[in-house]
Amino acid sequence: MSEHNQQVQPQKNKPMQNERAADAPLRIGVYICRCGGNISDVVDVDRVAETVKLLPDVVTAKVHTFACSDPGQQTITNDILEQNLDRVVVASCTPFLHEQTFRGAVSRGGLNPYLYEHVNIREQASWAHKHDPEGATIKAIRMIAAAVGKLHHVEPLEQIKLPNHRRALVVGGGIAGMKAASELAGRGIKVLLVESSQRLGGQLNDRGRVYPTERDAKELVEELARRVRTHSNIEILMQSNVTAVSGFIGNFKVAIRTEAAGIPVTETTVGAIIMATGFRPYVPQDGEFLYRTEPGVVTMPEFLQLLRSTPDAARKLTWNGRVIRNIAFLHCVGSRQLDGVHEPPPNGRLNTYCSRTCCTTILQQALEVRHRFPSVGVFDFYRDIRTYGRGEENYYSAASRAGVTFFRYNGEEPPRVELTPRARAKEGVLSVTLNDTLTWGTELSVPVDMVVLGTGMMPGEIADLIEQMKLATGEDGFLQEVHPKLRPVEVSVNGILLAGTAQGPMNIQETLAAAGAAAVKAAAMFAREDVELNPYVAEVDLSRCCGEALCVTQCDYEGALQMVSMEVEGATVERAQVNAGLCVGCGACVAVCPNRAIDVNGWRLDQFEAMVDGIAAAIPGQECTPELVNIH
Amino acid sequence: MNTQINSDYVPDVLVIGGGIAGLQSALDLADQDLRVLVVERNSSIGGRMIGLSKVFPTLDCASCITTPKMSAAAHHPNIQILTNTEVQAMETRNGIHSVRLLQKPTYVNFDKCIGCRLCEYACDTEYPDPFEEGLGSVRAIAVPFTNAIPQKAVLDAEHCATCGVCARVCPTDAIEFDQQPRTLTIHTDSVIVASGFNLNAVTVKPQYNAARSSNIIPPTMMERLLAPHGPYGRVLRPSDGKIPSSVAFVQCAGSRDESIGVPYCSRVCCMYAIKQAMLLSGALPLADITIYYMDIRAFGKGYEQFFQNARAMGINFVRGKVARVDPIEDGDLRLHVETTDDAENPLQEHRHDLVVLAQGMIPAWNPAATTPVACASDGFVATPSLTDPTATSAPGIFVAGAAAGPKDIVDTIAEAGAAAMQVSRYLHEKRAAVLVGQAVHG
Repeated sequence: MSEHNQQVQPQKNKPMQNERAADAPLRIGVYICRCGGNISDVVDVDRVAETVKLLPDVVTAKVHTFACSDPGQQTITNDILEQNLDRVVVASCTPFLHEQTFRGAVSRGGLNPYLYEHVNIREQASWAHKHDPEGATIKAIRMIAAAVGKLHHVEPLEQIKLPNHRRALVVGGGIAGMKAASELAGRGIKVLLVESSQRLGGQLNDRGRVYPTERDAKELVEELARRVRTHSNIEILMQSNVTAVSGFIGNFKVAIRTEAAGIPVTETTVGAIIMATGFRPYVPQDGEFLYRTEPGVVTMPEFLQLLRSTPDAARKLTWNGRVIRNIAFLHCVGSRQLDGVHEPPPNGRLNTYCSRTCCTTILQQALEVRHRFPSVGVFDFYRDIRTYGRGEENYYSAASRAGVTFFRYNGEEPPRVELTPRARAKEGVLSVTLNDTLTWGTELSVPVDMVVLGTGMMPGEIADLIEQMKLATGEDGFLQEVHPKLRPVEVSVNGILLAGTAQGPMNIQETLAAAGAAAVKAAAMFAREDVELNPYVAEVDLSRCCGEALCVTQCDYEGALQMVSMEVEGATVERAQVNAGLCVGCGACVAVCPNRAIDVNGWRLDQFEAMVDGIAAAIPGQECTPELVNIH
Repeated sequence: MNTQINSDYVPDVLVIGGGIAGLQSALDLADQDLRVLVVERNSSIGGRMIGLSKVFPTLDCASCITTPKMSAAAHHPNIQILTNTEVQAMETRNGIHSVRLLQKPTYVNFDKCIGCRLCEYACDTEYPDPFEEGLGSVRAIAVPFTNAIPQKAVLDAEHCATCGVCARVCPTDAIEFDQQPRTLTIHTDSVIVASGFNLNAVTVKPQYNAARSSNIIPPTMMERLLAPHGPYGRVLRPSDGKIPSSVAFVQCAGSRDESIGVPYCSRVCCMYAIKQAMLLSGALPLADITIYYMDIRAFGKGYEQFFQNARAMGINFVRGKVARVDPIEDGDLRLHVETTDDAENPLQEHRHDLVVLAQGMIPAWNPAATTPVACASDGFVATPSLTDPTATSAPGIFVAGAAAGPKDIVDTIAEAGAAAMQVSRYLHEKRAAVLVGQAVHG
């Protein structure tokens, strides 16, 4: 859902100006955006304005530097009121960015927001045809002509209103899930929290102290767990998995299976779903840096476990029966992988991303080793030290002061972990060899007893949920938001929100903030009685439908289209029926209907035909029509 | 949006700062039907972000992301905005925060001003435009910038020649030379501090000699040079308008250095340097572009891939510390660099014709001086809670964005949402407790 939905509602107490005599000509306003140069550096926007002014029923065509800015929007609103416009075109960037913005401006002028057409002359003209200004300009004109053509065939539409079940499902009981659940519960919203394992807290249960507060992760987990367990608005299902999801924003039907014997599958309804499914630690492949070949090579989670299980009073750090005298920490294991340098993991996809938390974790652990076991030598092998967060740089400077020795390697030349030749075995069984860029590429070999692999984060294994909920994942495999700044916790399916590391690597503070950001979107959605959806859904013309059900077989969206029995002239017949909440307006049904009995509101066939006519028509004021082939 | 409010207006939330953090918090609160007052000390909302060219890692134009949020806030029925307004002091009693606001005179009656800019066109006095980082000029009375909100003229008393021409041409008699500062006190249940950041001075490291050459520029100036609607519409170096052929970015020029009081990482400089380098190589295909860095901190979603793309594009990354920048002949600069990339030649000198210094982020406002909000040793607002990272030391007062430490836009927007969530939960719980209290006593 959009955060500014309310703007699409026409303002009350203002006359709706789109009521006009049936035969009166339309009054169309066209607004062309320079996008501060993004468009006007390529497209001759003044010529576009002059030309489209000649299109049928266009009464004004104006150019603005930033149509989306307040003065730009105000121009549109004022023109509607002062010049009695009844249709509006804005030619600017992708509708994905600003269709809602301009619908708001149109509404404030008292016009139905669907008497508006958005034309994308940035991505589709100026950016696509950067080196062909003439072609881009002609294309912009033709695209606007198409929109003007369509506007001769549109009617006011109203948003679809559906009841809103004021209850959220939070999938995952790690800190992101618990934070989101407790925030919503505190706001007075009912929450169902589902956790697949036996304990709340997720990966943090195994973490020990956390940076930069150096407090025990247990404290954080226990505080959040106490909140969710004691809040009367929260119901928790442990050892449970979401097995089926259907429905739509405001009205998702979910099935949850609990592992304990004898508990039937729970089916329930929620209005929003927060995905807090977290990450899984990268597990090196067998033999990667001798992992699983040599016992002295361990991952960061294994090392954290070793440190935690070593009593505070211990004078020596021992592993596998061997006293550890020298430790190497390797950064970027399973992160920042480069094509041609690293072996792809079994899924075939390189982890090209930075895991964000490993640098500071390594420095924190290196410091702990130096403090608890001052005789142990600590060697740190890094590409870039990324102690970016608040309080994190201190770990780097403290580690330097505490005698941690740093080596730096280029990503293209990862260090090699090898067995030390027998003759030098007393210095350490393993050695780490690299071309150290801190000493101008000198090849150095450091003997150690233990190598700790700074393993990063991998996307959680939630393929079933991704499939069920039709979620998108990015190239990195993590769940993908719609837009990192405009809609950072929303996905393309309305009503589903992302919280925490399900979306990508994050540290604890960032995870908690992301969970809050997801919760606030749910809270805003639940502040409304109804869920409002775009009216672009299929509609059946019962006078033409003959019940062949071709549309239903073509429909990709379960439940969006079905056959129902009804009485027609005394006979019981089957007819297609649309579920507006589930229909996405894709139009697959329209294409197969032999009787043209189904069409998508706002994108009807006659409207498309008008657009095609608009594109193909001669350009007004131009003697010869440029070849269409130029504008591909 | 209102430009004037009365003391009897009681918002549910006061948001201090109308940058991207404050606006996002305000929108997330207002969408829950809470009444929000945003106070902004500058003449327009939009903060730092509205002055940027494009933003990493998507390379969306910054205006395209910021202006709709500005506009949405300005039109939201639950949001009131006061610009040219500073917080003077705040005190908390019985859970109510009383905030004293100072509205600075704009010498323009905002209720009358229609933003026609006739005054601006008539004004004869110009001074370096702060929005354009001093590269262009602006009239002494002007609408702050193209997409400013509100679109109201503001008179800069410091530069005004008091000729009175603005008052003569104003069609609505909006010019008021006798305006006085106005204080008003707002009472509110909760506050979000979203006061953002400043950059430390470009001269903070004397060895970089920024005071001696106008071709050693802050990154914010490079943003304006790269903005399609910037002062020149293209990239020209300040001293002589030459098209630069060799641009250097000096990273950590105001951060990660205890000697200048900024030991921490400013978190955004690596990424904006890479972004500016990419945009530059688009604008100036023949120019050499070099980034001198200690560590490339491309940690966010899609950032590492962005960095690798920049390398593939041929942007030159040199690992090493720039020791000194010397102005030389023709307005050019000589960089003395100690690099670890070249064993034969570790001490290098490089000539460039434009140098961008990555200055450090420092707090824009110190609330600890006049409000109950405590700051940490780094000067940013302290966030002592383990579970609620947007809670400050003072109950009912929360923080979002760079006011709580350097942060990029993505992380700022997430934090702004989280702060809004915390406020709405806080208010809900507080008001439920009052209702329970009333039921018990009543």
